[in-house]
Amino acid sequence: MNTSIGPAAPFNDFIDSASGESAHENLGEWLSEIKEKGRDEFYKLGWPSPKLESWRYTNLNKLAKTQFRLPQTTELDKLPCHNIIPIDAPRIVLINGKLKRELSDLSEIGEGIFINSFQDMRDEQRALFCLANHAILPKEGLPIKALNDAILSGALFIEIMPGWQSDVPLHIVSIGYGDHVGFSSKIFVSAGENSQVNLLETHAGDSGSTYFSSCVSNIDIKAGARLGHYKFQNDTNTSTHLALAQTSIEADAVYDNFVMSVGGILSRNEVRSLITAPGVECCVNGAYLGTSNQHIDNTTFIEHAAEGSKSREVFKGVLADHAKGVFQGKIFVHPEAQKTDGYQMNRALLLSDKAEIDSKPELEIYADDVRCSHGATVGELEEEHLFYLKARGIDAESARRLLVEGYLGEVIDEIQSQVIRETLSKVASDLLKKKLFERSDGR
Amino acid sequence: MSILSIENLHANVGETEILRGINLKIEPGEVHAVMGPNGSGKSTLSYVLAGRDGYCVTDGSVEFKDIDLLELEADERANEGVFLAFQYPVEVPGVTGMTFLREAYNSRLRYEGKEEADAMEFLKLVRSKAKDLNMSDDMLKRPVNVGFSGGEKKRNEILQMAVLEPKLAILDETDSGLDIDALKLVADGVNALRTNERSMLIITHYQRLLDYIKPDHVHVLARGQIQRSGGKELALELEANGYAGFDGKG
Repeated sequence: MNTSIGPAAPFNDFIDSASGESAHENLGEWLSEIKEKGRDEFYKLGWPSPKLESWRYTNLNKLAKTQFRLPQTTELDKLPCHNIIPIDAPRIVLINGKLKRELSDLSEIGEGIFINSFQDMRDEQRALFCLANHAILPKEGLPIKALNDAILSGALFIEIMPGWQSDVPLHIVSIGYGDHVGFSSKIFVSAGENSQVNLLETHAGDSGSTYFSSCVSNIDIKAGARLGHYKFQNDTNTSTHLALAQTSIEADAVYDNFVMSVGGILSRNEVRSLITAPGVECCVNGAYLGTSNQHIDNTTFIEHAAEGSKSREVFKGVLADHAKGVFQGKIFVHPEAQKTDGYQMNRALLLSDKAEIDSKPELEIYADDVRCSHGATVGELEEEHLFYLKARGIDAESARRLLVEGYLGEVIDEIQSQVIRETLSKVASDLLKKKLFERSDGR
Repeated sequence: MSILSIENLHANVGETEILRGINLKIEPGEVHAVMGPNGSGKSTLSYVLAGRDGYCVTDGSVEFKDIDLLELEADERANEGVFLAFQYPVEVPGVTGMTFLREAYNSRLRYEGKEEADAMEFLKLVRSKAKDLNMSDDMLKRPVNVGFSGGEKKRNEILQMAVLEPKLAILDETDSGLDIDALKLVADGVNALRTNERSMLIITHYQRLLDYIKPDHVHVLARGQIQRSGGKELALELEANGYAGFDGKG
């Protein structure tokens, strides 16, 4: 064990206890191996320093000084339904990173999707194999991945059969529960050739819980497939959420990603997409809503490694009170990725003098025949809009709510799945009432 | 009781006095036109009546029915029955016309202590109003005014007016930016909304709008005051002679 690197931080005690834990779990040597490797890698890399360009605006110092503990129990027998996406869909529930069968319901999932958790090792050898296989891939400079490995609590392996097409979304619900518990989960998705499926993730907590949640997703989208991947990050307001989604997209496939982040004292959603073949459409969009002293980081990286593909990235956020938003978006175009069509836009609406957005849109282009554009705007609600609504009888508070709702509605409209679009639009509207405009609710 | 009674109204924008003692009375069902050269204070008058921030009344009074209008917020004025049709209707991205108008309609109902209309009820109402005006309600499915032509924006204002049924409609330069066909359509809409009860204040630079919406009274506003009042013939006289002699330069 290499604990001598860096000053001993309370978080390290937690990592050490996590790496000792798997011995009790009868999950085989491979899990211990992942955890140990992760721990060693993490101690070697250390916490991401603000000196690293991609961590300049999000500081994890406070997290490193917080003492977490392993979840002692998963005895939560009821979902905190008001915190998760209200959708009637097959769902798989993770409590503190571990699969909870009693709360899951996969009866309507259909025969084209296989879902295995690594707690079910008797039947799902293949899942274990894939998990281990992916987990040992070297990922340089990604301490979040190493940390995720080091405290790994649970994983899902989702395999979508080639050609399987379904309108029924699959809802992955990850719930944090307890006082200063830390956990991590991994989600592996393999979308077979020409398959079409929508995945939905809710990350939330049971009321009053404080936790650290780390989630790493690895997604493979095979040729001609279409994967909708939508995430509602609604963790409790004392919790920390660090997520990293890595997607590899093959020829003529479509990846439609949307992250709506509204929860947690600190959250970072990092989405990295690699376009490996021509004809791909890759959409990485998101909406965020920050109030009180929330810190919300959206970091994206879209890599065009093949010609003739299209990427689109639109983020819109609303920040009130002392909330801080971070947007880092990069489109990287390799020399061979001619005819790339890339678009990137981040807009933020600041509702208070104390709110802040750090916005860094970037293009890095090594091909000469491409069409790429990017931009960023920051603004406030405009007086002329407010007056127009008031002149129609709408009171100031409702006018503000309508305008903010419209502002976020524009980016929610980017979601390609109609069902998810309508659902998240309702979720956003309710959240705005709850978090920003409580007074107009009371009539 | 007059619908609107303006007495000795003075108003500033910033440090500058724009309105310098306006007197005007409008009775139920009357249509008044206020004409004037650029910079005479026409738009300021409409904003002061509608209650826009940044327009500071320094003297005088405005009574609407028997209410002190200047005491009310913009939204309260609207709910009492004042409607301003904007010279430049604002584009509101992300908010559909239907959502916007239903919120406005329900605000009025709440203000009057009544039950709100549900979505279906409201849709029916809007459809019938649009039909009366010979319009389609399609534009209400799109975000308010976003990407609308000048004519569409003005027709949208008239449709809103039809749904909200104001007691006093202030039409601020409704003809600006319209070609003759669009102008006729908009004027037809306004005429369809004329009743014995509803009063209108039409603010315009040009006489041509008054060929289609016939006013009962015409006033010339210049240098922040009503300089002259008369009937329809005054508008024709202005058309022939211009505002020379009123703008203080002639």
